[in-house]
Order: sequence, then structure tokens, then C-alpha cells
Amino acid sequence: MVKVTLTVNNVKYELDVPPLERLIDTLRYRLGFTSVKEGCGRGECGSCIVLVNGNPVHSCLALTSRLDGAEITTLEGLAPAGKMHAIQVAYIEARGVQCGFCTPGFIMVTKALLDRVSDPDDKTIREWHSSVLCRCGSYPYYSEAVKRAAKYLKEGKVYFDEREVREKYHLKVLAR
Amino acid sequence: MVGIELVSIYKPKSLSDALEFLDKNAPDVKPIAGGTELLLLIRDKKIKPPKYLLDLYPLKKQLSYVKVENGIVRIGALTTVYELSQSILHRDKRFAGFVDVYDKFGTMALRFEATIGGNLNAATQYSDYITLMLVFDASVRLESVKGVRELKLSEFVLDKRKTALNPNELVTEVVFREPPLDSSSSFVKFDRREILIAGIVTEATYLHLEGDTIKDVRISFDMVSGRRIPSRALKTEEFLRGKSFTSDLLEEAAEKVLPSEMSRVTDWWTTADYRLEMSKVSLKRGLKLAYERVKGVR
Repeated sequence: MVKVTLTVNNVKYELDVPPLERLIDTLRYRLGFTSVKEGCGRGECGSCIVLVNGNPVHSCLALTSRLDGAEITTLEGLAPAGKMHAIQVAYIEARGVQCGFCTPGFIMVTKALLDRVSDPDDKTIREWHSSVLCRCGSYPYYSEAVKRAAKYLKEGKVYFDEREVREKYHLKVLAR
Repeated sequence: MVGIELVSIYKPKSLSDALEFLDKNAPDVKPIAGGTELLLLIRDKKIKPPKYLLDLYPLKKQLSYVKVENGIVRIGALTTVYELSQSILHRDKRFAGFVDVYDKFGTMALRFEATIGGNLNAATQYSDYITLMLVFDASVRLESVKGVRELKLSEFVLDKRKTALNPNELVTEVVFREPPLDSSSSFVKFDRREILIAGIVTEATYLHLEGDTIKDVRISFDMVSGRRIPSRALKTEEFLRGKSFTSDLLEEAAEKVLPSEMSRVTDWWTTADYRLEMSKVSLKRGLKLAYERVKGVR
């Protein structure tokens, strides 16, 4: 067993993990961040992408035991409680989501992209979106979403009120 | 949960510490860099889980660099493909082949994980950086407690998934001579999709022109004569060297010379005939691309 300290979504966790435990298992089954989805489990589909120190990483190919001291962001940590991140809102507004399985991966890749390029062109967006497979074929909508998110971020609108967004787009309103 | 086996992981404090650990536990250790290859091999049960994993992340600062100095290009083995794209290699037309490889390398997220050393060590026909570095006539630097040795890349890669690396050695660096000013390189990868592909045919070209005369040329393919590793098309190079660059010459090289030294294999991706046909096309495309780059048309 290996002792590691991880910061996941700004919360510090001290864990004792087997050396070959994958990051995806740690996040899903030990810590309960179920936005991290396992699709292929071999670095092809990208549904499991999380940000490790700001870089997009397939959590199915990363070993938790090697990530001592790393800062990890999953979809859950994108916005504080009760808020929604501009990227999430943009994805809702672009109506790209069909089955939704790949969406967390797409949103994390988009976050990594917009952290580096504030105004990406179509080619760059496609290049980054190649990381995730969407079998509903929502790529054009997702490209639209990235542009929308880039616009929001440029206008300084980073967080939106979750309840308002949910009511506006007729999504399930969670009782809080 | 997948993949929980009794393996222990060692985090070295320095390179010498890593080499000592490797030497002590030699055949039972597997160094792990990006992990995009090794973890899949373990998961697919293609190799037995090793007793120890040697974590190379702690050496990242030391072994991740691209330097061009005194006419020699040095790339640290732990440089990721993404870091390579931020380096000088992607801003110089002579190394344009690196941009071509990057454009069709895995996916964006994989580029953040995969390392050069790992790509060379994987030693398959799909290791695009082997195909590319062969035309730069690169050498790999192998370090162990006993010292350092340098091997030509063509001698380093022996067979599919088999390299000349001893169990107590680490690949620390790839070195090649800085190409002359009026030279350029290109890389052609052909498959049905644009991204996340292995490549039905991959080809790399290095071209050095003097006016319109081919002063030096090096060409490599993912497979040349049935062996499932990248290697140089030496006869074709010999044929092209010293001649004037014309489309007739390319035609003759592709139609007459290349087939004489190339035998392709049929597998469930495609047939040998189709592969050979596409190899001819790739040869011409690669040479033309490199030519246009030297001339500054592209």
C-alpha cells in the first residue's frame, strides 16, 4: 500500500491505495465522484478525463499511487455549490447532450482548452475535442458550446446560479 | 475495479537512485513514464505484472527538455508529446516532420501523457517517433550504474516490442545532429480517420537539397521488408541521392525501386497490395511535402 495525499476539487484527501489502483477507481469508488465515467478503460474514449495539475489526463491510465501531491479537478469541482460554471451552461444551451455519458469528459477537456486559449478557432476546438468519443455525434453542438463558453468567460461571467439555469431550461430542480 | 495486483512502486529521489534500484532488482522492474502503453500491456495480460514499478515522474524535471546546442539536438526521454509541441522543434521548418507527427498523434489528452522515451521503448510499427527519428539518424542514450552508452536508433529497435535495452538500463535522451539549413522533413500517416489512428501506412522523409539536386535523403516506413518495426528504405534513398528532383524521378523511385525492397503484410486492416500501393503514394507525397518546405512554398 502506498500513502498519497491528493487534493480533489480543493479538498485534501489522505489515502492508502494499492500501487496499481487506477485514478478512476479512486475517484469513483473511494471518493464518490461519479462524473468520472469509465468507457473503454484504455485511453481511447476520454469519458474519464479529469484535470491533473491543470492538464487533461485519462484517469483510467493514471495510477493514484504516482500522483502524490497532485491537484485534481473533476466536473463536480468546476463550480462551487449552488453555482454552475459557464462551460456547463454553454453545453446546456448548445443542446449538445443526448445520452450525456461523454459530457463530463468534454467539459473537462473544454476547461483545459479555455485555460490555455481564450478564443479558440474551429481547428483548435476539433483538435482538443478529439480526446473524447461521442457516439451520438454531438460534435458540432459541442463546438458551438465551446465558443459560447469562451464568450461568457470573456464577458467575465464565470459562474451562474444553478437554480435559475435549471428553471430556465426546464431541467430537474434539485431540492436543497 | 480492474488491475489490483501485488506490485510495489518505487519513487526514486534522483536519476542515480533510480539506476541503482534498477540494477539491484533488474529483471523484475518496469520503469513507468506516461503509462499509456505499459498499463495496457499489464491490463491485457500481454506481460506479467512486474514485481516493481519504477516511477519516473520524480525525474521529470531532470529529463524533460529539448535543447539545440553546438549543432546537436537533444530531447529528454521524459518530454511529453505536448511539451515537444511547445518547443523550438515546432517552430523550425527543418523539423516540420515533428509537427506532422504531432498532428496525428493519438488524441489531445494522450499527448499530455505520452513521452518520447516511452514511444521509442514501445518499439512497434505504430511508434511514429521511431519512424520519424530514423530519418534524422538519431541515437538513444542508455544509462546504467555502469555508465552511459549511445546506440543508433536502428540498432536499438530489434523487433516488435523488443529493444537492445538491458534490464538495468534507462533511456535518458534522444540525440541527433542538427540538419543543415536547406533541408526539411515530413511525415505522412495514412488511415481512414484523421485522429486516433495507428496508420495503415506511415512514412517519414528527410530531404537536403542543393539547388534542385538531392544532396541527401533519408526515408523510413513503418514496415519495410516484412519486419514489424519501422526501418529505412535504403535502396530507394541510394537511388534518389545525387539526382535532380523531378516528378519523373519520384515516379521511378516509387514504381520501380521501392517495391524491390518492400514487402508488405496483409492483416485485418487491409491487404498487402493496398499497403504497397499506398506506400508508393506516401513516398511521393512525403518527398514533395519536404521539397516544398525546403523551397519555402509551404
